[in-house]
Amino acid sequence: MSKRILVSDDAMFMRNMLKNILIVEGYAVYEAANGQEAVDAYKAYTPDLVLMDLTMPVMDGITAIKHIRAGDPEARIIVCSALGQKTMVIEAIQAGARDYIVKPFEKSRVLEGVKAQIGSGKAA
Amino acid sequence: MKQELVNPFITSAFWVLESMLGETPKRGSLGVQAHGTTSHQVNVTIGVTGQVTGHIIIGMSLQTADRIASTMIGRPVKIFDSLAASAIAELANMIGGNGLLHLSEIGLVCDVTPPTIIRGQDVEIDTLSVPALVVPIILELGEFTMTVGLVQAQERTQAA
Repeated sequence: MSKRILVSDDAMFMRNMLKNILIVEGYAVYEAANGQEAVDAYKAYTPDLVLMDLTMPVMDGITAIKHIRAGDPEARIIVCSALGQKTMVIEAIQAGARDYIVKPFEKSRVLEGVKAQIGSGKAA
Repeated sequence: MKQELVNPFITSAFWVLESMLGETPKRGSLGVQAHGTTSHQVNVTIGVTGQVTGHIIIGMSLQTADRIASTMIGRPVKIFDSLAASAIAELANMIGGNGLLHLSEIGLVCDVTPPTIIRGQDVEIDTLSVPALVVPIILELGEFTMTVGLVQAQERTQAA
């Protein structure tokens, strides 16, 4: 069975790009277009990992991370954002993110971060 | 408007464009925004909030937008659809977001709003009289302008 990843980003382009990177590696991917959709999708699918953008309409990424972690303190979340300021990184880590990837990113950086959290796409 | 508020976004634009398009852009001569009308067919606006406030508008022709989106997506864009618009919006988001990193290096803490795409020529964009500098960015894929209208929060208070 494939490991499952929820990709939360308001940009369809970015969701597609991440989905293409992950599917090739054997991961199953769910999508959310804002923080609220991410919170709802996490409850519905309990994915192994979330890739979370920060600047999103309806509900921002930091708030979504807090909601998800309140329901599941073990939730594995990697932030994937264009915001690279130290204050944002600290805020995200304090909210419960386990890694922080700044856009634009190399494909290898995403896979390195994902594999460090949940291993390769196919479960052993 | 202070040049030091614009430079972070020029640096960011160059880095993002090199990363996403694999092309080193050239910068044209800086201009001043005289009015709020844009002659571009595709415009992306991003708001900046915090210790610096204002806007960034990235404007280009539909042909340039198609070419840039095609390179980002990895296949030709025949119609400027929602995926192509999303690619251009994300490019602007990355330029804005990374610009904030450079602003933070000079002690200015800010945030950006999600990008908004505005399509249509001769669109009036009301920037609430914030003075703006226009930076032409020249790529082999085409040319676009980055209009940066930012003021430090303190300046705005004094002006009011």
